[in-house]
Amino acid sequence: MAPTLSTQLDVILNDFERNVPHVQATAVVSTDGLVIASRLPSEVEEDRIGAMGAAILSISNRSGGELERGEIIRVLIEGDDGYILIRSIGEYAILVALVEKDVRLGLLFYEANKCIVELLKIL
Amino acid sequence: MADIKQVVLDRDLNPYHSFFSSFFGGLAELGMINQGSINIVSKRAAEYLYSYLEAKEILPDMKAVPGETSTEVAKNLILYINKILSLVGEYEFKEVENGLAVLLITGNTCRICPKGVGGAEVKGTLCPIPTLVVSLVNKIAQQELLELVTTGIEKDGPSCRAYFNVLN
Repeated sequence: MAPTLSTQLDVILNDFERNVPHVQATAVVSTDGLVIASRLPSEVEEDRIGAMGAAILSISNRSGGELERGEIIRVLIEGDDGYILIRSIGEYAILVALVEKDVRLGLLFYEANKCIVELLKIL
Repeated sequence: MADIKQVVLDRDLNPYHSFFSSFFGGLAELGMINQGSINIVSKRAAEYLYSYLEAKEILPDMKAVPGETSTEVAKNLILYINKILSLVGEYEFKEVENGLAVLLITGNTCRICPKGVGGAEVKGTLCPIPTLVVSLVNKIAQQELLELVTTGIEKDGPSCRAYFNVLN
């Protein structure tokens, strides 16, 4: 029996988390802000991650266009205790990752690219 | 964009319908809100609306709400909510199979749609009704009567539909 979409997404997110030390949580969200798949700690509210991730990327894309910065490649929010990485996955989905401060950003971006290529194959 | 004046007349809008639908439509066009955030804030709005109904002493007495099944009770509560808030002109709430109910809204009679009334030119849906209805029905009933199955609203030609599990 072929694995379900949900299982395939979970495998890809799990690989991403395994390949990048310090990634704490990941989610694939629709551009509507609704969670498609997630690997989040229990204290993180899934609905909020979805809604906020989609809104942040949407505002960023809008700003990029209005301010003539071209297509937005990624949104990286830096806080005292870590990062939030948000990337488009094609036209209809978004990858959101919560990452600890100690992460190697180069590795994070590289693996995020690989993860998105894999996600695009099934979404 | 649809003829705004015609929408006002056809859907029998009041000023609050126009204001809120265009306000949320504008936020959506700026990328600030989406169906996910609408769901979250609709739940919050239901809390405030419940307090409003309580303060105004117009909450229905649950013992007096007609209906022999949970679906019928929910149907009557939705009727009451729509009467108070004037959300939509035409709709139907019915059980489609055991424990599963659908809310079918005639799209061009909806008075609060950020797209159809508020003119938002965005992809996807922006409907507050399913989450608002489920949160307010459960709050008024003081029990989990309905559970949203769909994550927002589904557009199906001229209708918009949301599915609910009817509990108890």
